[in-house]
Amino acid sequence: MSPGWSKDRNAFELEDRSKIARLWQERFGIPMQVFDCFCFYRRAQNVWAFSDMALPKLRYEAIGLRMMNFKEEHWKPTSCALQVFGRHATKNVVHLPSEQSRIFFAGKSQVLEAKVEPGYVVVFYNGDVLGCGLYSHGTLVSQLPKESRIIGDAEMDI
Amino acid sequence: MDHLERYRSIIPDYDGFLDILAMPLPTTARINTLKTDRSCLLDRLDRAYVAYTCLEWYPLGLRLGVERPGKMIEHVLGHIHIQEEVSMIPSIVLDPRPGDRVLDLCGAPGSKTTQISQATENRGLIIANEPSLARITSLRSNCERLGAVNVAITRYDGRRFPQQQFDRVLVDAPCSSEGMARKDPKVLGRCSLKRSFDLQVLQIGLLKRAVQLTRSGGIIVYSTCTYAPEENEAVVDDVLRQSQDTVCLEKASVQGLKGCSGLTEWNGTEFCDELKHCVRYYPHQNDTGGFFVARLVKR
Ligand SMILES: C[S@@+](CC[C@H](N)C(=O)[O-])C[C@H]1O[C@@H](n2cnc3c(N)ncnc32)[C@H](O)[C@@H]1O
Repeated sequence: MSPGWSKDRNAFELEDRSKIARLWQERFGIPMQVFDCFCFYRRAQNVWAFSDMALPKLRYEAIGLRMMNFKEEHWKPTSCALQVFGRHATKNVVHLPSEQSRIFFAGKSQVLEAKVEPGYVVVFYNGDVLGCGLYSHGTLVSQLPKESRIIGDAEMDI
Repeated sequence: MDHLERYRSIIPDYDGFLDILAMPLPTTARINTLKTDRSCLLDRLDRAYVAYTCLEWYPLGLRLGVERPGKMIEHVLGHIHIQEEVSMIPSIVLDPRPGDRVLDLCGAPGSKTTQISQATENRGLIIANEPSLARITSLRSNCERLGAVNVAITRYDGRRFPQQQFDRVLVDAPCSSEGMARKDPKVLGRCSLKRSFDLQVLQIGLLKRAVQLTRSGGIIVYSTCTYAPEENEAVVDDVLRQSQDTVCLEKASVQGLKGCSGLTEWNGTEFCDELKHCVRYYPHQNDTGGFFVARLVKR
């Protein structure tokens, strides 16, 4: 985020829950009920997930966790939201073996055959959701943000 | 180290205290029940041959025999949070419940915020406040990594946080951090009586505001990672006196951890007798850093 972003901190707006739930159901097959106890806020292109509690009138810097962002007609899920909701996914899911998960953790891309639609996928290793990947033309590109990467194979304990 | 001499009369076994300051601080972590549970996590560590021991006083606390805990997959995936052992105390003394409205007035980088979030099981409302934009970045990224979805972040000067009524308020105040000397010996070079008195003004302002933001019957916890009575008992004493019987102190002790009672006198100044309910933790008592905790109840 740029330093100036807090200027429009009033701009959080409640977003329609079923609209968000439907997008996640369509892409990942996550049942819509999974989102029942959450509400969603939108600020600029970002949508944030928050537990379904009334918020007092304050100026907020952040509300819950970043869920997804919109770019024109596309949307991209965040890795942290996939770590929370992704275990319910039934499609567009990629399970990586240990060697490939290292590459993913390092934030790199790799050639990989997967039975998924092109676009964003939920990446699993050993039963855990690691985060978001972008799959197209037989290549999986890690979308892990810098702070969630682990660089250097030898140093990583997986 | 010279700076610490002034505490010789209040720290039991002062030489033992000095000895342990020269020893490295054990690496500790908290199990994040927002993303995993204790048995799953311990299972994982066992399978990965990670050396650890469980903290006796806190089922979710671990000591890790790991050189770079930040590189552990469990950390990156948010199943654990690297957190100093004594820093786990204030959220436990605050004792938040699911459904509570909690304010963490000095929130970044969010170790205690996220511990409160897991105690409320992601139900209830937590406002984590932090004036520094740079520190909000780390607060946000910890909340996101640990999957805390009931935390909203604000950026006020805590002394001027807008009027609201919370069930519980944590004031983990900015302080001179003398208790961090095992982790970073350089902190002592920045400590002085003048600095403590400067911080005291801010600390009193924060605690006073916290009391105003708490509903009647609600709990306020005040904590620092420093020994200076000027930043601890003197702050609580001042707020108690100014509050004219609207707040009182309750025992802040935690079962299974050794600590010393709060001071009722320092350098010729007498504090309210109630201050004995506060707890001071010294590094050689539990092999940790140093800490101070007070628990106030609003009448
Ligand atoms: C001891 S740290 C808090 C640690 C945090 N509770 C945790 O467990 O991760 C104190 C924090 O208070 C913040 N602070 C400084 N001045 C403040 C003020 N006027 N109001 C509120 N917070 C303030 C500092 O930026 C710092 O992040």
